[in-house]
Amino acid sequence: MRTRGYGIRLGLGAKFTLAVLTILAGTMAANTLYSLHISTAFHEKQLVERGNALGRLISLVSPEAILGFDFVQLNDYTHQLSSQRDVVYGVILSPEGLPLSSYVDDSDPLIKQRLEGVQSNDIAKLLQALDDDFELIRLQFPIVHNEVSLGRFLVGISTQTLHSEYRRQLLTQSLALAAIVLFLSAAIHVVFRFNVLSPIQALIAASRQLGRGQYTTVEVKSTDEMGLLAQAFNAMAEEVRQEQAKLHRQANFDTLTGLPNRLMALDRIDHAINRAKRTHQRFALFFIDLDNFKSVNDSMGHAVGDELLAATGARVQATLRDADTVARLGGDEFLVLAPDVVNEVQVEEIAERLIRAISEPQDLHGRKVVARCSIGIVLFPDNGDCVEMLMANADNAMYQAKATGQGSAIFFTDEMNTRLRERMQMEQDLNLAVELGQLELHFQPIFDTAGQHHRGAEVLLRWHHPEWGDISPSVFIPLAEATGQIVAIGDWVLEQTCRRWSAWHNAGIDPGFLAINISRIQFRRRFSRRLAELMSLYSVPPQALELEITESVLLDDHYDVGEELKGLRAVGVKLSLDDFGTGYSSLSYLKRFRFDVLKIDRSFIAGLPDSPEDVLLVKAILALAKGLDLKVVAEGVETYGQLSFLTNHGCDLTQGYLLSRPVNHEVYSTYLNSLKAEVEPRRLVRSERRIVNAGG
Amino acid sequence: MRVLTSRYWNRLWRRIFPLLALVSLAAMPVGHAAEPPLIMGVFPRFNASETTTRYAPLADHLSERLRRKVTLVTARDFETFWRGVEEQRYDIVHYNQYHYIRSAKTYQVIAHNKEFGKSTIAGALYVRKDSGITSLAQLRGRTIMFGGGEDAMIGYIAPVYMMLQAGLKKEEFAARFAVNPVNSVIGVHRRQADAAGAGDAAIGQAAVKSAINTDELTVLAVSDQLLHLPWAVRRSMAAVLRESIQSVLLELEAGDAGRKVLQSAGLTGIGKAEDKDYDPHRKMVRAVTGTLIPQ
Repeated sequence: MRTRGYGIRLGLGAKFTLAVLTILAGTMAANTLYSLHISTAFHEKQLVERGNALGRLISLVSPEAILGFDFVQLNDYTHQLSSQRDVVYGVILSPEGLPLSSYVDDSDPLIKQRLEGVQSNDIAKLLQALDDDFELIRLQFPIVHNEVSLGRFLVGISTQTLHSEYRRQLLTQSLALAAIVLFLSAAIHVVFRFNVLSPIQALIAASRQLGRGQYTTVEVKSTDEMGLLAQAFNAMAEEVRQEQAKLHRQANFDTLTGLPNRLMALDRIDHAINRAKRTHQRFALFFIDLDNFKSVNDSMGHAVGDELLAATGARVQATLRDADTVARLGGDEFLVLAPDVVNEVQVEEIAERLIRAISEPQDLHGRKVVARCSIGIVLFPDNGDCVEMLMANADNAMYQAKATGQGSAIFFTDEMNTRLRERMQMEQDLNLAVELGQLELHFQPIFDTAGQHHRGAEVLLRWHHPEWGDISPSVFIPLAEATGQIVAIGDWVLEQTCRRWSAWHNAGIDPGFLAINISRIQFRRRFSRRLAELMSLYSVPPQALELEITESVLLDDHYDVGEELKGLRAVGVKLSLDDFGTGYSSLSYLKRFRFDVLKIDRSFIAGLPDSPEDVLLVKAILALAKGLDLKVVAEGVETYGQLSFLTNHGCDLTQGYLLSRPVNHEVYSTYLNSLKAEVEPRRLVRSERRIVNAGG
Repeated sequence: MRVLTSRYWNRLWRRIFPLLALVSLAAMPVGHAAEPPLIMGVFPRFNASETTTRYAPLADHLSERLRRKVTLVTARDFETFWRGVEEQRYDIVHYNQYHYIRSAKTYQVIAHNKEFGKSTIAGALYVRKDSGITSLAQLRGRTIMFGGGEDAMIGYIAPVYMMLQAGLKKEEFAARFAVNPVNSVIGVHRRQADAAGAGDAAIGQAAVKSAINTDELTVLAVSDQLLHLPWAVRRSMAAVLRESIQSVLLELEAGDAGRKVLQSAGLTGIGKAEDKDYDPHRKMVRAVTGTLIPQ
């Protein structure tokens, strides 16, 4: 028996034995009680028959003595009763109820008890006292002579002795029964224990071992159900063992490369930490991420990508010592654990070997592929004392390496963590920026190049951080894209833009068009539908908006770009291909997706008019746009030379610091109001430039 | 010295033998061996078996002492017994005083019982203490249970005599008869009658004490002391034999064997009696029965 909490838990053996004991005891007790009851009833019947025989005899012989007033004789008759066992009294009563003769057995316990307070010769009271005694059989016989009643003969027969004997028998048989039941229960328990409990306990022990991952079998001792159960258990254990091995393989190894996976890598690191702590040695972790692996997948297919991963794993493994571990963490990420490193120089050598091995050209499906990688390196215990910290720091270092440039390896530094923390803080703050009104729209006017007339503005986002001041969009927009916050922020920008345009329009001001930058993340979320809603809400006509989309949006294969662009076309807004020339600048895009505007990246404008390459490129772009009937916007115009070049070569629109810096809403409103009052455009431009630059 | 021959001895034997035989015959008790057994009748005071148990030792004792067979005869009832008395079938008879008075013409009393150390017995009337009866006059209209029948000297005649002496008439009370005085006393206690007629010693008898609580009874009246039950012999019996029988009976108290016989019969002794000792009895019988009893 075992206890748990406040309850009592009985074992199977105890339950079975208790059940057997209960059934046996119940059955035998019922049988005993029934037998004793039958026996007692039989003996009571015998007593009654004996009393009847005695009574009839005495009632038969009494008339003569009664008629002769032979009380001595009557006494002889009644005293004859004294020789009869269990007869406690015999009384001959006259017809008037007076006792003519009586015998009372004073020694009988029942009579003794009833005689308390009653004189033994007071027969009437004694009979009354005994009248309701359940342990007394009372018989009555009429005494008749020649049909004349001479009296009655009363006999009292005590069943006390019988009942005492019943109780004694009950006690004796109960004790015997208890002994038999206990013996049988013990015997059954022993048999049950050896034939059932022991095998079950062996199965339980084996099951527990199996539960702990220790493969074990039980001995099959019989061919009965228990034997079959043991056989079934052994078969199950074998299957579990095989399944466990399979699961272990699946859980700990990468199916593509055959290398340990992240789980096992973390386990190995944990072991390495413990070992290094014991031996006071250092080890290094190399967090490897293949550069531009996505491009390989996209351009050459996933089969090649998988092959590249497998080959990379094999190469890395071949580069390392036997004691080193290489694992695939997932995707294009690998981890190398190099125990027992002496110094950073040794670590650097390993990193260089890794970079060399990975960057060697590979022949995959008949194509030469050169993979690059970025490696983040951490050392134990220098850069962390636990698995999580080491992995996080290695990951951080890897990102720094990736930011530094392809094919580099960087040791983790504490500054990386500082930057990481700042980035995380920024993430948190950016969540609240819209709500706290820290975001603000700025507008950079766009002019037609030829007449220098105001045509619209590019909407730019500014973040005024209460602690860090103004944060550049080049800092927080990538962060917002990485965290997905760009969706909410972009929506806010879109709504604010519509609201502003509507407000100016309602004020009788012509703001021209407003060009809004759309993130590829934002583009995925049924953007056209949302845009149509807002335009409808603020009564913004399609020509009032221009959407600037980078090539990265077109490269995104997560959705059907064509369908979304078709939706935007249906809304009626203009589409501008932003930063043209910096990416693939695939002409097929221009063919597939109909744009209205090409926006030349500022990097090409910067070299004008002196850089022959930039001149050549800008001229080519302008020619291409003219050929495709696209408007061209040149951004980043900062000098008169640039402006003059663009004017001379037919660029449609320009924007840049030369013309106006981005200004906030109030300044831009003032500028628009001034445009409304002015008639002469060129003057207006000069005045505006002056005002705007003063405002910026 | 002369040698005695066998002839001499034969002649001597033939002369001496008749002499010795004569002497022997003279020394023998009268009638012994040659006479029929003496019949001893005992009245059915007890049942036959009890009577035999009690009196057989006495019969044997008499046989031994008289050198004549004494045969005990019991009767199943008084009528049978009395018929035996009237027909003088008993040589020795033991009965009650009334019987003797009635048979005095043919039987002669020679002894009387001593019971409980007394030679006499008195008739008595018993009532329950809670009956409220304190005088014989209060028995008028009551039921009296007498021990024995109307021929019971102590159980009936003596008590009735007292009632008559107290002025009651026989018609003024109802008589019931128990088989013996013991039962009459018990009957009163059992409320089967208002008074019981019995001997004065009845209440002290073991049979009574064992049956009832005698403390609940009281003696209403006791008669004069009367000589106890008689032992009589036929008047025609030879005086020698009568005296021998009387002698044996009277000597019972003297020896161990005799006392055993007496104990067996429930007696403490047997005393000498003669006819005139029963005159007081005759007086009572005459008063009660109105019959002139022959002397």
